[in-house]
Amino acid sequence: MTNAAVDPSLYLPRPARIVETFPLTAQERYYKVALGTPLGHRPGQFVMLSLLGIGEAPISISCPPRDDDLLEMVIREAGSLTRAIARLGEGDWIGVRGPFGSGFDLDDFRGQDVIFVAGGLGLAPLRSLIEALLADRGAYGRITILSGSRTPAAELYRDRLAAWSEVEGVEVIRLVDRTEHQPWKGRVGLVTEPIPDLAIDPRRTVAALCGPPVMYKFTALALARKGLRPERIFVDLERRMRCGVGKCGHCQINHVYCCQDGPVFRLSELSGLREAL
Amino acid sequence: MAEALYASSESVLDWIANQGSTRAVIAPRQGDDGAIRYEPLEPGDREAARGVLALAGPSLLPPGKLFSPPGEVLFTWGPAEDGSFRVEPRLDRAPRLLAGVHPCDLRAIHLMDRVQADGNPDPHYLARREATAIVGLACSEPCSERCFCEAMGSLDHHEGADVMLAAVDGRILAHARTPLGVSLLADLAGEPCADPEAAWARHRAARPEPFGRALPGSREALGRATTAAWSDPVWTRHTEACLACGTCNLVCPTCYCFDTRDEIDVAHPGCGERCRDWDGCMLPGFAAVAGGHDFRRDLAARQRHRVNRKFAYLPAAHGDASFCVGCGRCGAQCTANIDIFDIARDLLAGSPDDAPEAEVSA
Amino acid sequence: MRPRIAFFDFASCEGCQLAILNCEDRLLDLLQLVDIVEFREALSEKGARYDVAFVEGSIHREIDAERLRDIRARSRLLVALGACASTGNVQAAANALSPAENFARVYGEAARNRVQADRRHWPLWAHTRVRPIEEVVEVDHHLRGCPVVPEEFLRFLGHVLAGTRPMERPHAVCTECKAAGVRCVFERGETCMGQVTWAGCRAICTRQGYRCDGCRGLLPDANLAAHRRVLREHGLDDEAIDARYDLFCAAGRQAIEEGPL
Repeated sequence: MTNAAVDPSLYLPRPARIVETFPLTAQERYYKVALGTPLGHRPGQFVMLSLLGIGEAPISISCPPRDDDLLEMVIREAGSLTRAIARLGEGDWIGVRGPFGSGFDLDDFRGQDVIFVAGGLGLAPLRSLIEALLADRGAYGRITILSGSRTPAAELYRDRLAAWSEVEGVEVIRLVDRTEHQPWKGRVGLVTEPIPDLAIDPRRTVAALCGPPVMYKFTALALARKGLRPERIFVDLERRMRCGVGKCGHCQINHVYCCQDGPVFRLSELSGLREAL
Repeated sequence: MAEALYASSESVLDWIANQGSTRAVIAPRQGDDGAIRYEPLEPGDREAARGVLALAGPSLLPPGKLFSPPGEVLFTWGPAEDGSFRVEPRLDRAPRLLAGVHPCDLRAIHLMDRVQADGNPDPHYLARREATAIVGLACSEPCSERCFCEAMGSLDHHEGADVMLAAVDGRILAHARTPLGVSLLADLAGEPCADPEAAWARHRAARPEPFGRALPGSREALGRATTAAWSDPVWTRHTEACLACGTCNLVCPTCYCFDTRDEIDVAHPGCGERCRDWDGCMLPGFAAVAGGHDFRRDLAARQRHRVNRKFAYLPAAHGDASFCVGCGRCGAQCTANIDIFDIARDLLAGSPDDAPEAEVSA
Repeated sequence: MRPRIAFFDFASCEGCQLAILNCEDRLLDLLQLVDIVEFREALSEKGARYDVAFVEGSIHREIDAERLRDIRARSRLLVALGACASTGNVQAAANALSPAENFARVYGEAARNRVQADRRHWPLWAHTRVRPIEEVVEVDHHLRGCPVVPEEFLRFLGHVLAGTRPMERPHAVCTECKAAGVRCVFERGETCMGQVTWAGCRAICTRQGYRCDGCRGLLPDANLAAHRRVLREHGLDDEAIDARYDLFCAAGRQAIEEGPL
């Protein structure tokens, strides 16, 4: 019948050793794992992470492309697998497949002003793009990072947000939904609220969004009011992939597979995908 | 070697039964409960092989599920010396002969061959598939009152079979479709058929017309109507009685979605296997994400997705007019009597004029 | 450290603990990995705090509820072991009658009157409603069925040892009938609870030619209106249908059809 080149390792995780892990918030931990060989990923891609005996789940890649064999992730305790992973420490082994997905194409950002809108855990995948741009700072215009968290204690990557704001031409606006009486120097409000006041040149600006489903509609609307066209807005969608390779069906959005055609889409592509948001 | 033979039913049964000496023969068989199942045949058991030429049907589960069985093991793992783990894929290359496959199921296998080879080829499906020879059986009459194979373009589908069998002029025409089929026919006692196409024409002429239930439009029109019906009340109408049991997915010959599960042995820490189980888009939680949000919580949205996969999404992605093959299993086995044929008919008829527009929430 | 696990029972036949004792071949391996500190059917050692408390049986009296709350307070994970704990099982059918009516039905009017008149028997009337344990305390995991499925118990422990617990897929028994190639019970001319019942039993009853009676409990989103329609079409009247639901799922049906109490 078919003569397709068949890779017997399609579903096989490779061993990866945790070299560094610490809590970022009460719910989320940072992980750095060593793969033995470079992952070779693009910003916005994801891996399928395994704990053998428990299962497998998609996890966003949080680091920019790198030459060594390290992979960085932020993992929230949200289910059976992530709860078990949270108990692991440095030196423990996990399984990794990937990288998977389309990711961001740096060419779409070159020479442009870039607005990042991150809600909660959405900052983890966006970091892979933010730091990729900062690594070649001269190739991009002004960078604005809107980072929204539920509370001050729930904010991810506090040190990195501070470090990014020190970079020439980078503005970081940190927001929380509510302070809950915790110390907070940023703003209080939804992550979309600063958008009307941003100075945006819609002809030379692109935006990258990642956050909970409810965030996209409001952010897209606010950016549209600033004249930003939908093909200049990139969204990183969340779905629960089971295979990562376009077979299991779980991440399907209308006719596309989020794990293959996404998880990063242009907003203009989503007009034909009525189940996307 | 002959490309096509005429043979008696008895010779065909002998031929099928004797294949068991070189490869496991999987053939349809009626159980004590009346249901037809594709089951392994004891080598040489020609009586049990009768189902290959019997026309009752369809089988409870489609024969193509042989290539993606429920609960199959994808890989096993065990401890490695450095403290990590080693994994071993489980690929099943046992030689088999799948016999008595009807054209609708043959077309489904052909479509699944394409799905599983496109993009990232699935090694587990392809290993089984490539080790399996297929003998098809053309239908002389609809196998059930739910059949609508002709409307779905399956009735004359032969691709994927190594040998096609058909009843012609009181005999069996055995027509090799592949080099493997030609070599299989070398063991069949019969007389050469010089003009198989003429024999097929006589087989087709003897069939009832129309063959099974007919739809009021083409498959292409159905695809367009499905896409156009996004906000149509048809989805709600055809889910009010739905129990979300997933049967329509699991008995469908072109449903292949799955979930994975790890199995460990308490007695052997560090060892285990990852399995995949059949899953289906009608089942609760299929489109849920880790935080609990479900992108298709509403039953009507799930029905719309299932039907779109059959008539719009998969046809566009893999190049065919429909991924429903018209076997009738989903309707026949749905205890709520929801039949994709009725949905297709309603889609082609358009929404009733007096029905209010109802937006189905995702 | 090895997790400390304990077993407790309330109103039940204790058959689920027996079902677990029947995993003999694997039970010994298991004992290497955990400390069983309380197991009424097997040991009598008492422990104060537990990593996992397996609770068997339904709750009938306030003193049972108090004991259960105490167990909850001393346990990191609390697991409903079997149908009695997770659905209230057959005994929840008693909720349709007052305790006095029930007593008379079982033991006769004369016995009921005698017991009602004698204050030494008054503790018998402490019986309130039959409740699944989730109506009293928070439950971390359900091991369903009458009795439980030993493989599910072992799988659960495997996850506990890794610091997590397995996800339950809210799928109907029909999925397991299909995977097993079982002809639908309805096509055999009988009726079945499988479409609205939690899977996980690997369709053990229907594979043996019986029907599903729903011992694993009703699915949370079960479309009972549609299921009733199917049962009616197959010849059951409403009373017969109620009886079928109430065999194992009286408490569950009340919750789905009449809304939360």
